[in-house]
Amino acid sequence: MTDYWLSKLFFDLQQDPKLAAEFRADMAAVIDRYEIRPEVRKALLADDVGTIAPLVNAYLLRFYFQVRGMPEGEFISRLHALKAKEGTTNG
Amino acid sequence: MASLVGAFAASHGPIIARNWDTMAAGHRDKLKAGFDEIGRRLKACRPDLLVVVSPDHWVNFFISNLPAICIGIGEEHDGPPEPFMQKVFPHQRLKGHTAFGRHLLDTALDHDFEPALSHRLRLDHGTCIPLWRIGVDIGLPIVPLLVNDLEEPMLSIRRCLAWGRLLRQAIESYPEPLRVAVLGTGGLSHSIGETTMGWIDEDFDHACIKHFEDGEDGRLAAFLTDALPRTGNGAHEIRDWVIAHAAAGSKGFELIDYFPSPETLVGAGFASWKVAAPATAQARS
Repeated sequence: MTDYWLSKLFFDLQQDPKLAAEFRADMAAVIDRYEIRPEVRKALLADDVGTIAPLVNAYLLRFYFQVRGMPEGEFISRLHALKAKEGTTNG
Repeated sequence: MASLVGAFAASHGPIIARNWDTMAAGHRDKLKAGFDEIGRRLKACRPDLLVVVSPDHWVNFFISNLPAICIGIGEEHDGPPEPFMQKVFPHQRLKGHTAFGRHLLDTALDHDFEPALSHRLRLDHGTCIPLWRIGVDIGLPIVPLLVNDLEEPMLSIRRCLAWGRLLRQAIESYPEPLRVAVLGTGGLSHSIGETTMGWIDEDFDHACIKHFEDGEDGRLAAFLTDALPRTGNGAHEIRDWVIAHAAAGSKGFELIDYFPSPETLVGAGFASWKVAAPATAQARS
């Protein structure tokens, strides 16, 4: 299910390097300018890829974690861990 | 009357630009050889204009306004906004071709297609990595055709085939003797931001190549319609290849090279279509 405001935050961060710099300095302050639901806000502050991933376009997700400064290898590992979890859940 | 003088396709993964200088030399050489061969063939076509079919990576459009397909009809377009692209392809402006862009738009509307239009697009790595690597003459006018390959729902493969035929019709009905080439970018298989990120689906890629070589539209559409939902999301960019394929007349392509490129996260593909003779020439023969 697409979360519009989360998507908008990620899109704006990609479009605007100044906003991205602000975000790196104070994530919570930038998040609070958007209508982000409390549980999503919590997931953002915790870099909880699993909660965020189903809510946004996968390319925007990748851009976001680049802005966030997460090395691509770590981002991929976290995604793969979700797959392993899915596999376990699905038996 | 204008004519189609060449149709090509090449991958465009952003890591090609980001890591060009640091990737293993042997791998870079393979990528370089693929792009160089496209560049050589494009130059040999002596094009006056290049139609580049590629996705928009959330640069011009967002989910608040997301066209299925958009024609760039401006006199010029902006170069890539990504800092990693500006380092390797430092062109702030790229020349457009308003007359042909407008003719393509009018032809589309006359045939009940409803594209979006833009008088100025920002051309991201999807367009500019191939332009950079094939060494395109920066003065060559470009008409961008941006296709939504990133966010579902997307154009059906059937519609991409129709768009390719329409593009060919627009080229052949353009009143001036322009030599037009088409370049489809992206693909082959890759997976971005998904739980399978990094997966290169070689079975999909080989089957895809077989269908493009075969050239038959019905089988190509049936295969892709069935297979795309089961492979990585990056493979949706194959729509850009399908448009180039149909513009060339669906006569099959010559694969220049294919190899899985885990270094750049894509199934790297380079191809050149056999261009069917214009409809009027076929009628005469």
